[in-house]
Amino acid sequence: MGEGESGGISLAPPTLILPHRGGGVSMRFRILLLSVFMSITMLFLVEAPVFSAELNANKLEMKKLLPQEILAYKSDGKDEFYDRQTTFRYMDGAAELYRSFTFKLLLVRRYLKANAPAIIVELFDMGLAEEAFGIFTFETGGEDAGVGQGSDYGGGLLRFWKGKFFINVYAEQEAPSTKQDVLEIAQSIARSLGHEGQKPKLIHYLPQEGLSERSIRYFHLHQSLNYHYFVSHQNILRLGEKTNAVLASYLLPQTKDKTFLLLIRYPTKKLAGEALQSFVKAYLPESTSAKAIQTENRKWATALTYQEFVIVVFDAPLKDKAEEFIQATKKKLGARRP
Amino acid sequence: MKKNRVITRRDFLRGTVYTALATSAGLPTGKEVKAEEKVKVVLIRNEKAIDQQGRINKEIVQQMLDQGVSHLLQEENPIQAWKKLIKPTDIVGIKSNVVHYLPTPQELEAAIEKRVMDVGVPKGNISIDDRGVLDDKVFRSSTALINVRPLRTHFWSGVGGCIKNYIMFTRTPWLYHTKSCSPLASIWSKPIVKGKTRLNILSLIQTQFYSRGAHHFDRRYVSEYKGLLIGRDPVALDAVGVRLLQGQRIAHFGEDRPLDTQPIHILAADQKYKLGVSDLNRIEIVKLGWMEGVLI
Repeated sequence: MGEGESGGISLAPPTLILPHRGGGVSMRFRILLLSVFMSITMLFLVEAPVFSAELNANKLEMKKLLPQEILAYKSDGKDEFYDRQTTFRYMDGAAELYRSFTFKLLLVRRYLKANAPAIIVELFDMGLAEEAFGIFTFETGGEDAGVGQGSDYGGGLLRFWKGKFFINVYAEQEAPSTKQDVLEIAQSIARSLGHEGQKPKLIHYLPQEGLSERSIRYFHLHQSLNYHYFVSHQNILRLGEKTNAVLASYLLPQTKDKTFLLLIRYPTKKLAGEALQSFVKAYLPESTSAKAIQTENRKWATALTYQEFVIVVFDAPLKDKAEEFIQATKKKLGARRP
Repeated sequence: MKKNRVITRRDFLRGTVYTALATSAGLPTGKEVKAEEKVKVVLIRNEKAIDQQGRINKEIVQQMLDQGVSHLLQEENPIQAWKKLIKPTDIVGIKSNVVHYLPTPQELEAAIEKRVMDVGVPKGNISIDDRGVLDDKVFRSSTALINVRPLRTHFWSGVGGCIKNYIMFTRTPWLYHTKSCSPLASIWSKPIVKGKTRLNILSLIQTQFYSRGAHHFDRRYVSEYKGLLIGRDPVALDAVGVRLLQGQRIAHFGEDRPLDTQPIHILAADQKYKLGVSDLNRIEIVKLGWMEGVLI
């Protein structure tokens, strides 16, 4: 950068213009420092209110989505907000789960009613509907409560998603009336959340025969994959923030054990090919061509790359079934719209 | 020796996980392990630690702490035992854990603080804190630390125990969440911590043995074990804790449901960071008090 260029934020190190040996600082150096300082100051003066205003608008929007009163419950008026950085203060290491998706902002509100435990509502703005769906699918071991676009109730906790929002509703302590109150509060919130959102496209490429809908998991990171189905402590499938993955289980006729299908979309065909190679080398080392291999549990595993996708089948009861899963998925991917 | 061995599900199916883990970490396996002095940990339980209303009995907790520390340090008098740990001139940080659903019991914090004061440390030179330790005057100038927290499963690290409790000594905890939190023990070499920990206590008064729920907490998977695990080696305590939680899952579910994440940070703390001993064969567990359902 030339000496005369001092209008914006200079990226050139100040050492390009050295102070005089005599102890004073050259005028040019002072001007440069001043211009850098003023540029940074202006940046904050201009940008900071924009960020702040946007954040405040998001907070206001979220506050409006939650009714102040539901049934006989009233908000305690002490709403708390947490973003991607501060959410650790609220939920410790559990925050990593939300951060593994595009979580933006969390609003926590307590609802109070006389002679009843407080009800906690956690409203997560996940940025995108598919991300809200993803975090919801993380845990679906309870009963479907018919709330929002998908819900799960178990252990006093109701989880549901709608549009770009994911919501937890639970009581601080359990009481006989808790479940009903939690369900009704959740229904009320679901009604106020507005438009529904689209599930991730990826799940539409799953073969349907034998598919357990409640077993579908959508995620990005290998830690999430291991949570549902441990594959390896290392990231042998090269999952990351830019990969989208769906895992589902199947119960085939006349079988009692589940078969798992994992479908991953990579940013490029090249990355998909490299991920498949890495997986085969670590998980199916006997198979140079990723053909089905019988694993130590006497079931079959196989994998294939197709365009920017990798398809993996675990625990198929027969070699042919493993291949059928691969081919059925490949066929669906081939028929997709561009 | 082959290093960086990738551990997969198939290693678990073969039953070769330990070998794979050891090989991965570049450790000796099987025959190569030398006989070494065992690390001592004390498990103390009292069935009256929690009453029928679910309240923790502070007098019982004080008794448990005193008995445990006395046995660990082989002193009959608990204050004499604490004098082996703390000097009156020490500035003492009691690193606790405030996780909303299962914090370190206040009764246990108070019991520790009482004994530190009994040694002669003025109250002003003692602080009990968790998330504020980096901004706490006492912690910043501390000469001794007592590490105390409850034992629970953890989504990202497998188990939240003594090693993980020091994560608040960094302002960027998420940087230690890579590879199943395996770098956690590196925090113990930071200047604010290094060489200061005099005692580690895992509260087993209530344990969380399985993670589900909004914050990976579900009351159904909390056990009233009514115990304390006390020792000087944080890695040994965590290794025993992992075994206990496994036993509790088996007892509850009738099967060994694996942790969401393998707690490899404990092995790394031992083998890579040399913080302590993780091999159960090298840990002596002294069991005191109530033994019903002890599981380990």
